[in-house]
Amino acid sequence: MDKSTIVCRCEEINIDEIESAINLGAHTFNDIKRLTRCGMGPCQAKCCMNLVRQIISDKTGHPLSEIKPPRMRMPLSVTRMGALAGTRASSVASVFGESAEEGETVHEEKL
Amino acid sequence: MKKSYDVIVVGSGVVGSSIAYHLSEDKSKEILTIDKDFPLSGTSGSTQAWVWVHNKTPAWYGELNMYSAELYPFLERKIGDVEYKRTGGIAPFFSEADREKALKLAEKQAEVGIKVEVLSRDEVLEKEPALSRNIAGATYSKIDGNVNPFRLIELFVRAARKNGAQFLFYNPVTNITKENGMFKVTTQDGDYFSNQLVMAGGPWSKSLGKLLGIDVPIKQVRGQVIVTEPLSPFLSHTIGGMRQADNGEVLVGYSKEEVGYDRRSTLDIIQDTARMAIDFVPALEKVNVVRCFSGIRAMPEDGFPILGEIPGIENAYIAAMHSGITLSPLVGTVMTELLSDGETSIDLERFSLKRFDTIQSIG
Repeated sequence: MDKSTIVCRCEEINIDEIESAINLGAHTFNDIKRLTRCGMGPCQAKCCMNLVRQIISDKTGHPLSEIKPPRMRMPLSVTRMGALAGTRASSVASVFGESAEEGETVHEEKL
Repeated sequence: MKKSYDVIVVGSGVVGSSIAYHLSEDKSKEILTIDKDFPLSGTSGSTQAWVWVHNKTPAWYGELNMYSAELYPFLERKIGDVEYKRTGGIAPFFSEADREKALKLAEKQAEVGIKVEVLSRDEVLEKEPALSRNIAGATYSKIDGNVNPFRLIELFVRAARKNGAQFLFYNPVTNITKENGMFKVTTQDGDYFSNQLVMAGGPWSKSLGKLLGIDVPIKQVRGQVIVTEPLSPFLSHTIGGMRQADNGEVLVGYSKEEVGYDRRSTLDIIQDTARMAIDFVPALEKVNVVRCFSGIRAMPEDGFPILGEIPGIENAYIAAMHSGITLSPLVGTVMTELLSDGETSIDLERFSLKRFDTIQSIG
């Protein structure tokens, strides 16, 4: 393996990019993920998890057993939006609705 | 590592790292930024990162956001490509009865120079054909946009370091005292001293404030977001509720829950959010969701930024707010003015922590 070897296939991230993130001070998979997008693709780190943990271990000197995997997030495999959507009307607040509702605040009245 | 600095900034999120960067620009101060974790591990790394102006109310608050949005192109020239795009912002409404409210908003915002248009359904669909035909209209402004938060904070930190500022990560601050006029900041790594201290702890500002013996009236609000697979570009604006990133992913979400620091995703909100996505853009029904994330946002009790000197503690400052992504270029600029010259180009009086004393005395 050389520095251009791809570790994360989904986002096409190579070893060099992971090492750069570690050089910037990142020590955890989650931190590397946010800096490089490694592990953010459709497989959600299923392919790259242990490769990245190994690189972190090699670079930082911490034993592999101490390097945590990235945070697992719902849904665990890709899911259609339509399958996730509830049948009830959405209760998520609307951006427009909030701007229309907000009146002058207590703080504003005091000024 | 050096122990004594001109300024210590606590917190390296979008607000803290912007202050550190702007302070470092003229290279006249020695600056240390301390963070309990790593940049992007908190609020700044779990956001849709809209640079959003047009329906922030009251108008004076919208105005503050507008000034900040206007600084983004200059910021990008200084620190590098943060994928800032001034896409224009569309906030749809679904009932014709809302049009009057929309017109009133446009009128109010015009007083401070924010140009808001109220669009008919056809005008909205002309701008953004993927939106649902069920919408009644939308408010629209050219000033809104979005940014890549990962690039933004990384480049703030890189640019500040290039100017000589130092950063300490994974290093919680456990105590703050004042000794001989200097702040003594005790961390896991040891003690650091500074003449000036800036608290930029976002949703953690309350516990940081306690170290200084002050109450920072700030709440934690969880927001949950859905991320789709990369799709060919079809959304060209930032929509109130969703946006499409450069790589094609669509981010959807506008939830608010007060659950402390709990960052789990929950099925009920995710189902609601997916429903909202389809209500806004029917074609999203057939796309794949790759992941969900949630973030804890800072929300001052009255919704507005807490910015400026900490009353009663000389040389201590605070910057804590919602909408840190939108406001960070401006906050970095005015806090630098305040720390360096003692006065600012924008009057910060109304953002002072002092205002809450009044509110408390009423209660």
